[in-house]
Amino acid sequence: MATFVDRYPEEAKVVQATLVVSFISLGIGAFFGLIQALHRTNVLRVIDSVDYYTVLTGHGVLLALWFTIFFLVGLFTWAIVKGFDRPVPDIRLTWAWVGLMTTGAVLATTAILAGFVPEIPMSADVLYTFYAPLQAHPVFYIGTAMFIVGTWIAGADWFLAYRGWRQDNPDERIPLQAFMVLTTMIMWFVSTLGVAVSVVVFLIPWSLGIIDTVNPLLTRTLFWYFGHPVVYFWLMPAYLLWYTVLPKLAGGRLFSDPLARVVFVLFVLLSTPVGIHHQYLDPGIAEGFKFIAMTNTMFLLLPSLLTAFTVVASVEHGARQRGGEGYLRWLGALPWRDPAFAGMALAGLMFAAGGFSGMINAGMNINYLVHNTLWVPGHFHMTVGTAVALTMMAGTYWLLPQLTGKPVYSRPIGLLQVITWFVGMVFMSNAMHRGGLLGIPRRTAEPQYQNFDFVAAVGSIGEIRMQIALGGVLLFVSVVIFLFNVAATWADDRVDTPVDDTIPEPLSSSSGAPLVLDNLALWTGIAVVLVILAYTLPLAGIISDAGLFGGSRGFSVAFSLEWLVDATVAAVTNVSLDSLAGVAPVDAVVDSLQEVSR
Amino acid sequence: MPAESNTETGEVATPAGDGTGETGTPVPDTESIDDEGFVIGSGRSGVVRQLGHDDFDPVGTLVLIAIYMVIVGAMWIFMYFVEFLGGDLTVIG
Repeated sequence: MATFVDRYPEEAKVVQATLVVSFISLGIGAFFGLIQALHRTNVLRVIDSVDYYTVLTGHGVLLALWFTIFFLVGLFTWAIVKGFDRPVPDIRLTWAWVGLMTTGAVLATTAILAGFVPEIPMSADVLYTFYAPLQAHPVFYIGTAMFIVGTWIAGADWFLAYRGWRQDNPDERIPLQAFMVLTTMIMWFVSTLGVAVSVVVFLIPWSLGIIDTVNPLLTRTLFWYFGHPVVYFWLMPAYLLWYTVLPKLAGGRLFSDPLARVVFVLFVLLSTPVGIHHQYLDPGIAEGFKFIAMTNTMFLLLPSLLTAFTVVASVEHGARQRGGEGYLRWLGALPWRDPAFAGMALAGLMFAAGGFSGMINAGMNINYLVHNTLWVPGHFHMTVGTAVALTMMAGTYWLLPQLTGKPVYSRPIGLLQVITWFVGMVFMSNAMHRGGLLGIPRRTAEPQYQNFDFVAAVGSIGEIRMQIALGGVLLFVSVVIFLFNVAATWADDRVDTPVDDTIPEPLSSSSGAPLVLDNLALWTGIAVVLVILAYTLPLAGIISDAGLFGGSRGFSVAFSLEWLVDATVAAVTNVSLDSLAGVAPVDAVVDSLQEVSR
Repeated sequence: MPAESNTETGEVATPAGDGTGETGTPVPDTESIDDEGFVIGSGRSGVVRQLGHDDFDPVGTLVLIAIYMVIVGAMWIFMYFVEFLGGDLTVIG
């Protein structure tokens, strides 16, 4: 039976290439993670503490950007080609963005790794959150910019594929997987604008010495403008797999196609106007703007809770079809021995816990308690570090046979691998959360201080450290096993039917979904409006406070904006009151504007 | 009871097990192939009945989500003690 590689051999090569880059990044990044876990817990210190930050940057960039996003572009290419059931428009364009992204990633990684060699005048110890005032070598920023432009071309490639498909199928609903790819890319286009401006306008000229100063708060804000949507960029491939593949692996069908579309539309709308919730403790941004960001963030819980229902219901459908009965006994009927299923299900379970700690992060007042503590890495190791990473690894056990025509080398080893990851992360992330509540800081090589001891209410600091070290070791072992299994799969021989790659129709099909859900232009427009509403005033305030490039009073934006705001508020107030009284509102606006101008 | 073959529209297609070998050089390996023609463990197995949209009542999902909500609610109450009774109030605005 023909699988993906037989039908689309050229595209399969592209996806294989992106997975290779992704998994190499995973191996290096995980090794850095092991060094960190052992170093900061003082179990084994093989590096100088000064080099810790080079390791930390490498860990963050290689795992959070290269591993996740190279996997994403591979998965999305597969989803577009499979969803539209046609090849990409021009395979040369596809290879072009793969090449650009890879070149950019290699350049940026080189700049980071050069930090280990004092003889090379190059370093990029700026952490994954690469905003000022930490400064990297220009090569790091240029590489990152190339990488991001590469993802834009990838998005354009998929939209071209959509255009071609639409010409042939003018009245069809967009296939669900392709819909997920396109909506995710709309979110990505909107959100990467911030980091692109930050890198190209400020950080590259600054690192080259063309400009002397930048406004650090501006680069931070532009980074977080991108830095929160990027977490959904990591998450959406996992959601794509949970919605379309996990139900199938469970033996069932997706519960509702329309609900899945609603969730992705909500992410387009709400992912970007929330970035300021990473900056609750930043001076220079008014509390009111932070409050707006918090409100938007709480709305973002909605699509994730919708997902919890839809995905669990789909999995339950599988269990019932497999003979499962009862309120909870059906869980036992699921195919827990299948590494692809078990890994994704465990990843979803961990995401439920990460969702709770995310709610804590999102609350303005509670955030003060955990800000910049080890709680935050505890949170994102549950979300991107497990919900996303474990889903990607588990998904590989189902995807790789389609891309290579080869069966997974060892499914029992795969099962061992996903369970090892889950157990390792239970140790590490729970200890990180608890350590954070005690005030242990993050991003610190040696969180030990003279004349001060952290006090644990339950357990001890030593026990927390040991859990982190043990968890880190287990996670690294899991990655080694994964890479071995994947490499052995690649080295295997091809077989006829390496995997059942069919995806069953949803229980509630797309024909019941409102047509407006497929109106991508509408959702893009609303998303842009929401971004403008959420960011215009904070950015204007930041620029007027310290100037576009920092160091000076920039523009008198504050004065003119105050005037505008006052006038609008006065006008709106008058309009509503006057409308009730039957007075012409236009006159009221004119009057109030005249008052303001006096 | 073996898995039923699918007849409904849009259901999982029952694959042919003989391997047509359209491209490449697939190697037949009868020992590790299940009844449906897939490498053992990778195919859909264990499905004993087909449940349509109206036959399926996700009551187990309701139970799981209720358990999650109880946990989140309990953690929320616990957080009240950690944040507000464990230290001074944090004032915003």
